[in-house]
Amino acid sequence: MPNATDHEGRASSASARAAASAAATRRLLLVGATAGALAPLATPALAQARPLRIGMVTSLSGPFAALGESMRAGMRLLLAQSGERFADRPVELIVEDDQARPDDGVRKARKLIGQDRVDLLCGVIHSGVALALRDVVTEAQMPTFLLGSANDLARKAVSPYILRPTKTNWMLGSTAARRSHETHPGARVVTAASDYAAGREFVGDFVQTYQEFGGRIGRQFWTPLGSADFGPLLTAIAAERPDSVYVFFAGSDAVRFLRQWKEYRLAGRIRLTGTGACFDQEDVLPAVGDAALGAVNTFHQSPTAPASAAFVEAYRTSGKGLPGEFSTTGYACGQVLRAATERTGGDPTDWARTRQALFDAPVDTAFGRMPFDPRNGQAILDIHVHEVRSAPGGVINTVVHTYPQLRDPGPNA
Amino acid sequence: MKRNIAMVALPAAAAAAAALLADDFVLRFLAEILLFGIAVMSLDILIGFGGLMSLGHAALFGGAAYAAAIAARQWGGDVALVLGSGIATGMVLAALMGVVVLRSGHLFLLILTLLMGQMVWEVAFHWREVTGGADGLRGLPALSLGPWTLSTARALFLLAALLAAVAFVVGRSFVAAPIGRALVGTREEPIRMAALGYSLFAVRFRALVLAGALAGAAGALFPFVNLYVGPQSVHWTQSAAMVIMLVIGGIGSLWGAFIGSAVYLGIQTYLSAYTDRWQLCVGLVFVLTVLLLPNGIASGLRILRDRLRRRGA
Repeated sequence: MPNATDHEGRASSASARAAASAAATRRLLLVGATAGALAPLATPALAQARPLRIGMVTSLSGPFAALGESMRAGMRLLLAQSGERFADRPVELIVEDDQARPDDGVRKARKLIGQDRVDLLCGVIHSGVALALRDVVTEAQMPTFLLGSANDLARKAVSPYILRPTKTNWMLGSTAARRSHETHPGARVVTAASDYAAGREFVGDFVQTYQEFGGRIGRQFWTPLGSADFGPLLTAIAAERPDSVYVFFAGSDAVRFLRQWKEYRLAGRIRLTGTGACFDQEDVLPAVGDAALGAVNTFHQSPTAPASAAFVEAYRTSGKGLPGEFSTTGYACGQVLRAATERTGGDPTDWARTRQALFDAPVDTAFGRMPFDPRNGQAILDIHVHEVRSAPGGVINTVVHTYPQLRDPGPNA
Repeated sequence: MKRNIAMVALPAAAAAAAALLADDFVLRFLAEILLFGIAVMSLDILIGFGGLMSLGHAALFGGAAYAAAIAARQWGGDVALVLGSGIATGMVLAALMGVVVLRSGHLFLLILTLLMGQMVWEVAFHWREVTGGADGLRGLPALSLGPWTLSTARALFLLAALLAAVAFVVGRSFVAAPIGRALVGTREEPIRMAALGYSLFAVRFRALVLAGALAGAAGALFPFVNLYVGPQSVHWTQSAAMVIMLVIGGIGSLWGAFIGSAVYLGIQTYLSAYTDRWQLCVGLVFVLTVLLLPNGIASGLRILRDRLRRRGA
């Protein structure tokens, strides 16, 4: 057993060395103590050398597992492109799973803040988790780039510690209503959505805006998050005979809904409109084939918009398909984090300064030019209207119209 | 006598050490373990002593959590108010559940408790005006005791530790008292107990209401750990998680409940940073416990202690 002797040999020589260097250790300690005393003088340099710790809370299990994987992949791609460094400072990303459950999300955020001592926090898909985190990060005064899209985060629940480099639900719901009114005025629309914060808001904003235009709204249907069987819902929709239906489902719910939409032979009979999440290019469309063909949706993320071309190309070369909302969101969030670090000379932890630096000038991201609204830290975004069209190798969200630079009504709404 | 002193001193010393040394995250995490531990311990009274297999325990725990959160949002976070509303809700829900389920046994009891639990979940999930629906309730005030606010993690932990100690004493007294012995009797020899003049229903009902009070007390503090309560806390999967904690910790030992909740929540919180498949690990631990230590980690520790003592003697 040559290996064993080798180990023993190494071990004994190491202990001999340790004994011999006991005196040297004492001297070293002295040097160390002196260095320790001088350390405060050298803090700026040390801060540069210490890696920038970024915590990410996202859903890696539960109904949003695929979306969370995409978000992480987008962020990782940006980190790889930046050589794992922002402004010459190494970056360390710690990802935690919230299982799309507010309780677990809060616990994980506390762990990242209290135990891993991250410098910046980002992530979140589920609006409920985002709202639950709001109080926690505000109490802990933790700089947070919150990617959940609940309207309240840009309104009643605005927090000085939260920046939002993503859409609000209002941006998608209201533009969908505008588009419906512009293309099919007077159509009678029913709605169907997952029964949680995001669904309530998408549908609420759609209905409100559509009614302001004088449109007619039929029944509103709700299903719990994580539904397996949409049969009863689809029969009820068919019985209503609407001109069009506005839907919001996300992740695996969207896949099951669209498959059953086709199985129940509603595809092509009732005009299908919805939020972009329900027709996500990466996480939904490849899994449903042609079931969503012809559907119209509004989204801030687009695989065919010019601003995202460079990212789409990079994402495809990294061996994935076309990017969807959450890979783009993860990437764009990374771009904002990078800009924040660069604009503050490598130390974005002085939050007032970082915030101001991001408010001063827009950031170029995969969502396009992104200015921040100083009232609520909410990004101002282009919203694209997509039609799902067939393309070589599958179906693709094709931009048919763009509402430029949409700004959430904000805290006074 | 010496043993009794050790039994009081050891946990007290551990709690004091934790309160002095641990950081905020760990303290909140320990508080969560203790609160779940209390709820699981109350479940142990039902399952371990009464043989009443319940899959609706989260309804008592979570229902009390909602009640306490709603009361606190309405009238402020006074500890007496919070605990009072939680305990009352836990007892009322347990009494309602008892009236419906306790005439049946075994499989039917399991299913009826599951259904009762899901009814509470339905209410929590759909009554948006009061419970916040799927989004749950946030914006809770800080806990307060008279003039003092207890908003720090340390205060919360100490409160949870105190509650756990009281709950443990209550639980132990209950199972040692005649009513507790009678509860074991209804499990082992229901026919003989009935012949002796005991009302099976009355004995079991009291046990269930007591378990509801304990779970309710724990549930009342639970929203203040994360400043949030959501429908997940009343869902039946939470009840199942409690049963798993109980089996891992040790059925019939009371204190094993705290070990079980520590193991379960520890795996969930720490392992999930390294793997997305933490539930697989919970499953493995569960299977290993059932195969190797049918009476849970608590019994394993007891065997270990006896062996050490014999070697020492």
